[in-house]
Amino acid sequence: MLTVENLRKSYQVGKTSYEVLKGVSLQVDKGEFVAVMGPSGSGKTTLLNCISCYIPADSGSIRLGKTELARLNGDALAEVRNKQLGFVFQDFLLLDGLTVRQNILLPAIIGGIVSDMTEQRADQLCEVFGIAAIRDKYPAEISGGEKQRTAVARALINHPLLILADEPTGNLDSKSTRAVIRSFEQAKSALEATIFMVTHDSYAASFCDRVVILRDGVVWRTLEKGNTEREAFQDELLDAIREMGRSDN
Amino acid sequence: MRHFSEVYALMRRKNKQQYALLAGCCFFSVLLITAYVCMMRAPTILNVLPEGGDSRKQIMMIFALAVLGCAVFTTYASGLFFRQKSRETGVFLALGASRSQVRRELYRELGVISLGSCAAGAALGGPLAWVLWQVFRLCVVDTEEMRLVFNPAAYVWSLAFSAFVIVMMFLLGSRSVKRTNIIDIVQESHTSEPIREVPRWYGPVGIGLLALGGFLGYMSSFFFIGILHWYPPEGLTGVFYIPALMGLYMILLHTVVNGWNGKKKLYKDLIATSQMRFQGRQTVRNMLVMTLLIAGAYFGSFYTPMLGTGSMIEYDTRPVDYVYNFRADQDIPLEEEVRALAEEYGVTVTDFAAVPMIRLAVDGDNHIEEEGPMGTTWRAEYEEVMSTELFLSASGYEALTGERVDLAPGELRGVVDVEGSKLGFAPDKSLVTNYLTGEQIPVTSLEPLRYDSLFGRYVMNDADFAALGAGLSEEWRETQVCFNVENCEETYDFAKALFNEIVDRSTMDVAQFSGWDPVIRDRYLAEEGVYFLDRENCAEYGFTVIDYAQRDSSAFRMSWQYMPAFRILDRTDFVKTMAVFLILFVFVAVVCFSAVFVIAYTRCMTIALTNRKVYDDLRHLGASNAYLRRSVRGQVKRVFLVPALAGTSLIYAFYVMIMYFNGSPAGITPSEAAGLLADLAVVAAVSALIYGVYRLTLARVCQALGLERSGRLPGGSALPE
Repeated sequence: MLTVENLRKSYQVGKTSYEVLKGVSLQVDKGEFVAVMGPSGSGKTTLLNCISCYIPADSGSIRLGKTELARLNGDALAEVRNKQLGFVFQDFLLLDGLTVRQNILLPAIIGGIVSDMTEQRADQLCEVFGIAAIRDKYPAEISGGEKQRTAVARALINHPLLILADEPTGNLDSKSTRAVIRSFEQAKSALEATIFMVTHDSYAASFCDRVVILRDGVVWRTLEKGNTEREAFQDELLDAIREMGRSDN
Repeated sequence: MRHFSEVYALMRRKNKQQYALLAGCCFFSVLLITAYVCMMRAPTILNVLPEGGDSRKQIMMIFALAVLGCAVFTTYASGLFFRQKSRETGVFLALGASRSQVRRELYRELGVISLGSCAAGAALGGPLAWVLWQVFRLCVVDTEEMRLVFNPAAYVWSLAFSAFVIVMMFLLGSRSVKRTNIIDIVQESHTSEPIREVPRWYGPVGIGLLALGGFLGYMSSFFFIGILHWYPPEGLTGVFYIPALMGLYMILLHTVVNGWNGKKKLYKDLIATSQMRFQGRQTVRNMLVMTLLIAGAYFGSFYTPMLGTGSMIEYDTRPVDYVYNFRADQDIPLEEEVRALAEEYGVTVTDFAAVPMIRLAVDGDNHIEEEGPMGTTWRAEYEEVMSTELFLSASGYEALTGERVDLAPGELRGVVDVEGSKLGFAPDKSLVTNYLTGEQIPVTSLEPLRYDSLFGRYVMNDADFAALGAGLSEEWRETQVCFNVENCEETYDFAKALFNEIVDRSTMDVAQFSGWDPVIRDRYLAEEGVYFLDRENCAEYGFTVIDYAQRDSSAFRMSWQYMPAFRILDRTDFVKTMAVFLILFVFVAVVCFSAVFVIAYTRCMTIALTNRKVYDDLRHLGASNAYLRRSVRGQVKRVFLVPALAGTSLIYAFYVMIMYFNGSPAGITPSEAAGLLADLAVVAAVSALIYGVYRLTLARVCQALGLERSGRLPGGSALPE
């Protein structure tokens, strides 16, 4: 589904060049729910932004299905973003002037593919994520958790191959966090969605099938959940993070 | 909702305030420029403002300021619009909209906004100018000369400015979509616009540069023309004003970033100061535009009181009520007829004196212009017979003024005004010639006499007068008449009747522009075959054609060579005669101040829009409404106060400098001092108006932020959940 190979990215600040990604390689299979964790500055968000094609990588390869994203031009990338990727942002990025339902439909409207069926799907997504009752409300009138569930539904409206989520629970309280994570699980189980999530939150990451831990721009460790209980997997994650902290000292 | 354009329409409805602000700014700018240019290019105005004259240059200069101000203002408003719009553009791009898709919708919107607002502004600019002009005519003064005629060609300027607005909006719009990094666009509205650390020496050095630039700019043309004998290309002297502009920018930057209080009030002003810093360059740019517009507006406003005060003082200090002169070949009323006419109007004439004058050639430096690789230069070449002047005998002067003047043969005294100003007059001559007979007398020029009503005349020994006058024909002889009347204030009708009589009885031979000179004429005819001040050539060379039918027009009264100086007539008709000038400058001031108010208001409302979140956060931290109001006041006050203070003091100092240097010798004359005092009264009145608009704006900003005195919390703002 998603294959990242030897990805490198550096930023130029004045005359100094900072290499943020130093050869990251990873793979996400269809139907997988994968999280990327790591301390600040480890390159998580840069990795996500490169995969989203928001910023160009210096070298390496990003393949979505059989498409090499780095080779696409602006219009083709827009097409990929619209049809094959779904996005969930920490700040939700809902448009204040549109209702919940209109926000969910937005990627379909941009893609020019709104039909009765699309509208039915939007309603169905509202049902699945428990936001049917607020579908005619505006973002200013709903809670943070509801906003993020709206964003998840929006990410799924065009049947994307992959959902990219950037700190989706970063701005939420624990109750809303649980609701959003539940919506990802529902997306995965009911809609067979593939999810790639960047997070700081070990609780959110503990719901994933696999967690990739980045450190200083490289993959430091990958933890598989397998049949482990969620709580035990969270402990495993916390141990790994503690171990990383110790080795830093 | 199934189409992208419908999403755009919804967003438009949601953000209609932003759209209205942008459209309003474009509309207002084009309206202002159109109204100004309609007025500036109207034949009514051009007929009165002499080509190449200072008044026309001033109007053009203020127009340039207004264009600059409006250009910066609309660019700022557009930048603000796209900045606010960047978030939704970023969301569209992030969700897979192509740039061309977004650009298509944006262009459609921009097309409607820019074309609509520019067209409305251009369409209403002319009528606005017309209505304002008619209001002035109705409320202030109305003369035949003030009948407003527009020149449709003025719309070329309006179209050019509209084209700028439209192109600028599309370029900025295209740039905002073209940004390659979506992350930047998504986060753009959250990023601040910091300004670099500003050293504290910016303030004092800025003041120094401002003073230096003002001085250099004003004096550079004197230097080039007077010292280097070189006519600099148009615009070069403007370059010398650049340090003043830099200085002004540095002062404003220092004021916004550092303030002038040092660290004394650091914590008291913390929020207002840091919020102003957050707005960064845009604030300073806006303040600069406002400062320049205020300076321009005052420059226009000062003209009327300066001219009015100066003229009124001049009329009042004239030593004689009635003064006129005429050529000997003209049949103009003399004592008997004047007394008869006076009797008709119940006026008692006193102190009547009519003495002969002769027109003699004098020596002087002829400025010969030469074209070279550096452009036009000039050199002075002494000519024994340079031009002509009017001469009185010592006894004639005594008869007119009552002042005895003892002059030996060969001695000469010019007459300057009572303040000693010699502007436009060089009383030092060394050779006097009878142009017809060639008789010459070398003369010694003594200290000038001071007598307002005979400014520009020369007085010589009686014997010299007789000798040099011998052989002169009637065209070279004149009569100077001076008389007083009892109760001068009540003799307007008589003055008007005598004036009409003089004009009616003057032949076309003396329908000459005031600078007409027979010696210069002969030289021009010999060298170039044409004399620019001959009546038939005046129109072609941009000079007023003297038309006796237009005797009440300002052009006639300011330009006729034999225009009488009747105190009561001049004083009573002053407003009528100068109406076009006065109203034009008042119009310019009204337009510029309106622009200042709109810019300041918009800027302050932007503070309310962009800082709403900050004020909510401060409220969460426990700030009282009074505290928040004080912080808002700190910002709004700076937006108004700094440009008002800078613009006012800048232009007032500049005006004082002009008044100081424009006389000969340099200095402030009592009438100029009175004019400057009258200008101070204008400053006080306008400052009160600015204060009123400031209070109004402050109230609106507080209202928008929910900071009314009642302490009511805002209806729409985000409050703790």
